[in-house]
Amino acid sequence: MNTAIRYDEEHALLRAEARRWLDERFPIARVRALADGAGEDPADWKELGALGWLGLCVPEKFGGAGLGAVHLSVLMEETGRRLLPCPLLASTLAALALGQSGSEAQRERWLPPLAAGESRVVLAVAPDAVWGAEHAHALLARRGDRFAIVPARAAGARIEPEVVLDRTRRSARVNLDAVKLDADAFLPGGADEVLRKLTPWACLALAAEMAGGADALLALTSAYTATREQFGKPIGSFQAVKHPLVNVLIGVEGLRSLVYAAATALDEGDADGEALARMAKAKACDVYVFAASRAVQLHGGFGFTLDCDAQLYLKRAQTTRPTFGDAMQQRRWLAEKLLGPAA
Amino acid sequence: MHSSMIVRVDEHESLRGEVRDWIRANHPGDPGWKLPQSALEVADDRQFQWLRDWQRKLYDAGWVGAEWPSEFGGGGKPRGTQRVIDQELARGRAPFLLNLVGLSWAGPVILRYGTEEQKRQFIRPLLRCDEIWCQGFSEPGAGSDLASLRTRARRAGADWAIDGHKVWTTLGRYADWCILLARTDESAVKHAGISYFLAPMKVPGVEVQPLVKMTGEGGFNQVIWSDARIPGGALIGREGQGWEIAMATLQFERGAAEGSAGGQFVSGSAEQVPSLALLAQSLERDGRPALADPVVRDRLTQFWIEETALRANAARARVPGLVSDRPEALPLQSKLASSEHGQALADFACELEGSGAALWIGDPRAPANAEWQRSYLNSFAMTIAGGTSEILRNILGERVLGQPKTR
Repeated sequence: MNTAIRYDEEHALLRAEARRWLDERFPIARVRALADGAGEDPADWKELGALGWLGLCVPEKFGGAGLGAVHLSVLMEETGRRLLPCPLLASTLAALALGQSGSEAQRERWLPPLAAGESRVVLAVAPDAVWGAEHAHALLARRGDRFAIVPARAAGARIEPEVVLDRTRRSARVNLDAVKLDADAFLPGGADEVLRKLTPWACLALAAEMAGGADALLALTSAYTATREQFGKPIGSFQAVKHPLVNVLIGVEGLRSLVYAAATALDEGDADGEALARMAKAKACDVYVFAASRAVQLHGGFGFTLDCDAQLYLKRAQTTRPTFGDAMQQRRWLAEKLLGPAA
Repeated sequence: MHSSMIVRVDEHESLRGEVRDWIRANHPGDPGWKLPQSALEVADDRQFQWLRDWQRKLYDAGWVGAEWPSEFGGGGKPRGTQRVIDQELARGRAPFLLNLVGLSWAGPVILRYGTEEQKRQFIRPLLRCDEIWCQGFSEPGAGSDLASLRTRARRAGADWAIDGHKVWTTLGRYADWCILLARTDESAVKHAGISYFLAPMKVPGVEVQPLVKMTGEGGFNQVIWSDARIPGGALIGREGQGWEIAMATLQFERGAAEGSAGGQFVSGSAEQVPSLALLAQSLERDGRPALADPVVRDRLTQFWIEETALRANAARARVPGLVSDRPEALPLQSKLASSEHGQALADFACELEGSGAALWIGDPRAPANAEWQRSYLNSFAMTIAGGTSEILRNILGERVLGQPKTR
């Protein structure tokens, strides 16, 4: 497994810009307010378009920045830290799939407005848990063994918001079976082929977002344990508190390393790219949920309340886990690759 | 800062090929008798001589100390060279390097804190395995709490006289020199009264007694210093600077600071999961190869992911832009994470072997000649030596996560 990592000044610049903007725009109080209300604010989406982040991986000739997997990882990691309450990830996955598998005409039609933030397209692999569907203009949705671009307001389209655990990430159940589609709505290849190309990138993007969330939890929890006093001292001085925090740290460090090794491999077309991306996703599932559970636990009684921010991340961690395969599913795929077919 | 902050591995392709060819031509093969797994259990003269010859051969070929200054016997090659060499040594399943303490701890310490004269005297012989080093840090009453050490050094004319009792001394029996911590000022507060010596071992008053590890192997020792006289010039750094230099030594020991003369210190490949998969293929469980058991496959894959993450950690540690949030985290957790991974992996191998794991070296039916059982027992050396996992968790919690000190 080639674990080389490339990361240059441009990546660092994107990180600095993203962190600064996200920190200013999404203090946790605003994230909570959006989660308690409409779920998102259209002004944020407009800004994401203006910043060029909706088209980060869209080719330049279609109005995007034409950047690769390391840039994508940086942006996802930073948005994950802030629990970004708008469907950048769902739009990015649709953009990637369109870029990888769309016809020239489809890419010309859909990618420029997607990148500009004028037209939201989100990915719908299954009928339920479709992120960002409620305010989408179109869905890149599975229809039988193909993917098709389906306008959200088409006659017969049913998009029903779901009641969700993680209210910072809204989803809907979509039923597009009754929508009549022209032949040119369908992506050229079969659905399996579209997903085969998209999956490594999706796993990477998800793992990066989860790494950002886990890292934020580490900061949140260690700040609390360093100051919260019991028995006359900060609880972080007790090894029973300090050591599990370090276990979270070790997990987060390994996860970030896998994310950037996978991103580098995907950018370079390395044969190990998919395996590394799936390893990153597998580890992300375990590390993020572990970080979140320790965050709640080490905040004690306060951790159990709605007021403690740990629960926001815990819910994000739990609900992101199954997307594109949880840790067990990733490992089953990896085992086939490493150990050969199961008997 | 240029567009790429790391040197891609392929840019070393010619060096890589050169090392690979050299190993192919010079690998000493299996001696036909039991070799130790690391320098920690070198217990007889035949093993010692064989391993010393191997390190000399490597040094003479330029594969040890490749990046160290050439005026003292190093290769003077650019940064990144030794890593490529080490990777190829591991890939070629080369035997480990004998002079562990010299190459990885004493050498880097001498290069950082030593006088010109000390560098000239010590570096080349330790690289070439002409002089063996051991470490005199731990004592019966000073393990994790190293600063409570009681070995004393007092002035005796131009010399120092050493009295004390050191333990867990790897290679002690063969060592010519010892990096020795001793208290030079009884009145100073705990850490301040300690000095650091490059002490000769072959002098009167130094008695080396073997200790037996739980594998039944020897190889480490206790050393009794009884009014042993060492020269005044044996001091490195200033009197009272010993604690600082000891902490630097531990950074080298834990892989938290770069500077080792390189080489690998455990025989075999850094990638252990493929060997574990081969083991699982060869073992039967419930009437089929263990490798066909989905639970076994899942566990193996978990180890594979961990092993890959550890290697990716090493790659990321060299990328400043990806460690700037917590610069100390990766170096400080390196030994902790890899030793616990290695221990869990060896334990899993033993579990896979089932009742076969009850057999020990010497029984012809012991799976893989009981190497996994031996690895598992030996793995505790790595989770204890150079700072126990518990001490390292304290250090990480305090230095990296800003937690208040544990008292």
